Amino acid sequence: MKARWSLQRSGRGTVVSLIALLSVHAFAEQQTRNVLALYANARTLPANIEADHGLRAALADTQARHVEVYSEFLDVPRFSGPSYAHTVATFLGNKYAEHPPDVIFIGGSDALAFALVNRSLMFPTVPMVHAGVPTPFLKSLGKLPADVIGDPMEVDSLRTIELAFRLHPKATQLILVTGAGDFGKAWETRLRDEAPRFPSRATPHFFAKMPTETLRERLAALTGDAVVFTPGYFIDGDGHGTTPHDAATFVASIAAAPVYGPYATFIDTGVVGGYAPNFYEIAYQAGGYVNAVLDGADPASMSSTYSTPTALNIDWRQVERWGIEPNMIPKDAYIQFREPSLFEAHRVEVFTAAGVIVLQSALIISMFVERRRRHAAERLLETRGLELAHTSRVAIAGELTASIAHEINQPLGAILSNADTGELILESDADRRDDLRAIFADIRRDDLRASEVIRRLRTLLDNHQYERAPFQINDVVSDVSSILSVEARRRGMMLDIPRSSADATVVGDRIQITQVLINLVLNAMDAVCDLPEERRWVVVSTHVDGDRVTVEVLDRGNGIAPEHLPQLFDSFFTTKLKGMGLGLSIARTLVTTHGGRIWAENRTAGGAIFRVELPVLTSAQGAANSA
Amino acid sequence: MSGVPLIHVVDDDDSLRTSLLRLLREAGFDVQGYGSTGEFLLHPHGDRAGCLLLDIRLPGPSGLDLQSVLHEHGVRLPVVFLTAHGDVATSVRAMKAGAVDFLTKPVGREQLFDAVRRALDRDASDRNARHDSNQLHGRFAALSPRERLIFDRVVAGRLNKQIADELGVSERTVKAQRASMLLKLRVETVADLGRLADQLTRSRDP
Repeated sequence: MKARWSLQRSGRGTVVSLIALLSVHAFAEQQTRNVLALYANARTLPANIEADHGLRAALADTQARHVEVYSEFLDVPRFSGPSYAHTVATFLGNKYAEHPPDVIFIGGSDALAFALVNRSLMFPTVPMVHAGVPTPFLKSLGKLPADVIGDPMEVDSLRTIELAFRLHPKATQLILVTGAGDFGKAWETRLRDEAPRFPSRATPHFFAKMPTETLRERLAALTGDAVVFTPGYFIDGDGHGTTPHDAATFVASIAAAPVYGPYATFIDTGVVGGYAPNFYEIAYQAGGYVNAVLDGADPASMSSTYSTPTALNIDWRQVERWGIEPNMIPKDAYIQFREPSLFEAHRVEVFTAAGVIVLQSALIISMFVERRRRHAAERLLETRGLELAHTSRVAIAGELTASIAHEINQPLGAILSNADTGELILESDADRRDDLRAIFADIRRDDLRASEVIRRLRTLLDNHQYERAPFQINDVVSDVSSILSVEARRRGMMLDIPRSSADATVVGDRIQITQVLINLVLNAMDAVCDLPEERRWVVVSTHVDGDRVTVEVLDRGNGIAPEHLPQLFDSFFTTKLKGMGLGLSIARTLVTTHGGRIWAENRTAGGAIFRVELPVLTSAQGAANSA
Repeated sequence: MSGVPLIHVVDDDDSLRTSLLRLLREAGFDVQGYGSTGEFLLHPHGDRAGCLLLDIRLPGPSGLDLQSVLHEHGVRLPVVFLTAHGDVATSVRAMKAGAVDFLTKPVGREQLFDAVRRALDRDASDRNARHDSNQLHGRFAALSPRERLIFDRVVAGRLNKQIADELGVSERTVKAQRASMLLKLRVETVADLGRLADQLTRSRDP
């Protein structure tokens, strides 16, 4: 699951953190240690500001040294994708070369994923402390390097459900709405496990993976004795993608009963509220690890067994809507959207806001400058990418020399023998026109066969400009099949490319996508070529899911070493003796310019699986294009 | 005997195989084509003289695999390898395993015929040598156990008297059995016997 640092409270922390930012220079002459804080989302997100506040509070606990905190924000999801990540990682590596961090503080799942994947580009040996990363996401990463530590962020569903029943004393029915996919399944399992501990008067009803229409009817038909709990979902019961936030909005807008949820992001979607992680506390707790590392403790020896504290968020408008008795609400709840008290409680901030705006303007200007520089870097990468893509295709052709020679020499051999035979027949003086006719027909056929091989090769090798045109993904897959089948046979292995019934139109450069797939298949072939025969097996398959098409390249090799997974798509990363380590990095650039993504994982059954996902041209777009 | 030689062509590329068969047939050879090593092995070809034109890269077992299998089974057809993309390592391996030639496609007429002729020559001389050695083995097999004991000792340079002592028989008996042994082996002098013993030892090794 990818819960993000999320909108939680209004910007009380902004002032403090900005003042802290400005005042640190006063201590610069002291012996300074550097901490680079890397946040997943935007700079202005209250969760990030709270986390910054918590982290600085923890660092201030140790008076003996001065710690310089540098903060960076990936601004996911507004900016994302491998090429963006690569550019930012390179940029950060260069930017902080003069002030290398002693510890990197990671805020949020996306920041952790980014830091792990791009670690080689920015301070590979610096310990990392993560915070705000939910347990399921951490588990999905497998074992982290020993010097990457932090406490998992726990979500407290049981406490939220108990609260709901306290706030609604007449409720007896507990409706649990979960979706499909891994996230949905994990939540459903978890809730079923927790069911025995639900309040005794609650009768649970699992609305799991329910088709949207059914869900709509059932939720609308709820009566006063029901409360709804939902963690939201990424995939609904019809198989369509969404976000937990949007799912919560949907559920809350339909349900004829109050809705509760375990994430702070759900506040303002129409849910009443729930216990959600408290980012100040989380960052403060993680700050303790940062201190320990700065004190010289070995990160590998620190175990992270604590889970992080949660805080209760309540939407006051929902309290009024459902007639909840205000006295029942716990005193430590963060009440949101209670207009008058909010203003009263935050009067000081309102006055300082003007000052903040001035400071923010400065920040925004600097962000613009940074953004322009990043765009320039990306444009450079694009032009270089085109050259590299061609170089890489030439390299592929080099790798295929043996099979190309085979494919051309077979027909040439046949042509020569047929011509020799023809000569012998002419020397024999007998009138054997029919024999000669048959020979000429064969010569013509073999000649065409050889020129087809050359044509295919030339298409691949031409240093052509990037072309943007619609093409069928199956045509590309069958090109790959005809280019590589001889090579597969030469290596004595099985290349299984079943003609797929799933086809889709993709817009872009057909040659580049062909190249990406050839690259992946050749890699897969390399991965299995020294293995026993039953494992020398590579399968390419296509799947269409809504507006995305995915081509999978799957092998029965030894898989990818977990420590290599993060660097797999980096330039000059290779595990091969004679590889340049550019293939996958170029593949990623090409796929990204097509608005797609490429990733790799190990199969549980052994071997690796590489996936290329591309946007599909829908019929509406097609009509617009042709219009 | 083995009669007119037959040239076996094993190549999975239909049009290449057809063209080779056509050319060899036109040049007056008896030919037979196969699309895979398995097809060749399934096809009974008895002990007919001939040679094998073998593509290196074939679906399933390769040409090199076929060469070594045939060798293990005592099939002595000389092999000429054909390949569309010859690398040094493969050609060295093929030649070491006893191939007559290693041709890279496309192969010209003269080069092909030359290789085929050399392969057939080698087959013929192999067959002659085998024929001689078979006869030799046949003659040797006709010796009685006693005559073999005497054969071993004569070849080792012992005198009749020494042999008689060793075997505990009279010198006369040794002389008689020695004469019978020489007659069965169709040799007259001890020098001829030495040469024959040498041939026998060599032809026993593959």
